[in-house]
Amino acid sequence: MHIIETNGLSHHFTKGRPILDQINLRVKEGSIYGFLGPNGAGKTTTLRLILGLLRKQQGEVLIFGKNFGKHRTEVLRRIGSLIESPSIYGQLTAAENLAVWQKIYRCPKNRIQEALRLVGLQDTGTKRAHQFSLGMKQRLAIAVALLHEPALLVLDEPTNGLDPGGIVEIREMLKRLNRDLGVTVLISSHLLPEIEKLATDVGIIHRGQLLFEGTLEALLERQRQVSRIAFETDDAPRTLQLLSDIGQAARHDGSSITIPAVEKQAIADLNRQLVEQGIGVHRIATMEDDLETIFMNLTGEGGLGSLRE
Amino acid sequence: MNFIYSFQSEWLKTRRSLAAWLVLLGGFFIPAIILVGRVVYHDKSGPEMQSPLMWENVAGQCWQFMSLFLLPMGVILATSLITQIEYKNNAWKQVHVTPQGLTVIFLSKLAVILVMLLQFFLLFNIGIYLAGIAPALFYGDIDYPGQTFPFDYFLKTSGRFLLDCLPIVALQYLISLHFKNFLVPLGIGIGLMVAALIAVEWQYGYYVPYTYCPYNFFEMRGAAMKASKAVNIHYWALGYFAVFTMTSYLIYIFKKEKG
Repeated sequence: MHIIETNGLSHHFTKGRPILDQINLRVKEGSIYGFLGPNGAGKTTTLRLILGLLRKQQGEVLIFGKNFGKHRTEVLRRIGSLIESPSIYGQLTAAENLAVWQKIYRCPKNRIQEALRLVGLQDTGTKRAHQFSLGMKQRLAIAVALLHEPALLVLDEPTNGLDPGGIVEIREMLKRLNRDLGVTVLISSHLLPEIEKLATDVGIIHRGQLLFEGTLEALLERQRQVSRIAFETDDAPRTLQLLSDIGQAARHDGSSITIPAVEKQAIADLNRQLVEQGIGVHRIATMEDDLETIFMNLTGEGGLGSLRE
Repeated sequence: MNFIYSFQSEWLKTRRSLAAWLVLLGGFFIPAIILVGRVVYHDKSGPEMQSPLMWENVAGQCWQFMSLFLLPMGVILATSLITQIEYKNNAWKQVHVTPQGLTVIFLSKLAVILVMLLQFFLLFNIGIYLAGIAPALFYGDIDYPGQTFPFDYFLKTSGRFLLDCLPIVALQYLISLHFKNFLVPLGIGIGLMVAALIAVEWQYGYYVPYTYCPYNFFEMRGAAMKASKAVNIHYWALGYFAVFTMTSYLIYIFKKEKG
């Protein structure tokens, strides 16, 4: 079953190019769905549309199998969310901040301390939230999202402002919630390594279009398919010519000539042929194409440096 | 039921807020000055304690300073500050992903403002009472007021001023819900307040929704202005309140971006 399903979700702020174009998102129950894309790709707009923070212009949003517009409050009762920067009342303490939401969700009062413990803020006492560091505010915002034990967590770049230790803690906590309580997590990020370490499913958005959606394994398989073998020789032009002549899709990649990945035996054959033609082979290596390369291939450009920081 | 929980949540947000302090300090500010004056000049205030209109005189002194400037200004500030709590803390988006209807959110926030206004009036009246009995409290040779405390008069006076404040509450609420920048509601509020002070002498001054507090004060002093004689300003205040609140509600409901 899909916890979140969007059909033909499109959005534009002004006339011209749409911010989102026919987004068909499928978030499976019990998954950790990494919603990945560079800054400005449309991640936050998608999440805001899913949560009803933006008025829907075109398309359909189904959450828990129900039309969001028609069952708004019923659906929202089971969702915890953190969109962009934390929403924290600066003059209140951490516990008071949670009490604000506890009254609305009508969850037991002891959930306040439990949620604070989950994010490591149980000892903040009477300290006002405006005195918190950005990381502490981010943790408190995550505690707000977790307070009512939601079945679905929608988190927009939740590790922003956290130190490396904090990032690991939040990641482990999300994994634990997913594994032990079956909470479905939709998490957006522009950081590829973060998603690689956490997600079971991935959606990649770029310029308002969903370029890929599937399991992380499917993405890794795609990675394997696009990996290449690099040859470093003493005569690159002749190597390129020879490999092309024998039917390989060879190309210049920096100082190497590369071909699509082939079997081990084929590599040995190619090496032998190069040597027989008097070309000195210095190095043969499998190019470790990472997911970033896949994004570049998917988006058809190399400007996705922000995916890996 | 939803409304009650939502109201409790909204009320909690005002804890330690500038608006809460404003209500507390603003409520006691003028009575405190009058109290000090009456204690310092006890030789004058002492004999007045037995006047049959002692309470009306003290209340009149307090309302004089309060109604023309401080009350409208306080209402402008408090309404804008409470509404802007969400913008200031970047929390509208979190409010709008909670399982509560938009009408409940709108009404509970407005209710908090109105309850704070009531709180302000209550504190102000307690302040007037304390200012009234202060000379007798501080000096043993001064008797407590001979006149029975006129609850009816205090209730009526406060009730009228409360009614006359409602258009300010509703318009400031409308503007504060719509604009992220705190200076916008504040600037418009102060501008309208100044316009109201200029307009009170105009025969159609009652068209300006911020004029009703000054008009009520002049009525209270037995010097009703031409405009306030022509119409019932309290009905006008209620009418403006209804129109502004409805407009505000519609703008809020149909807003495309909710945080």
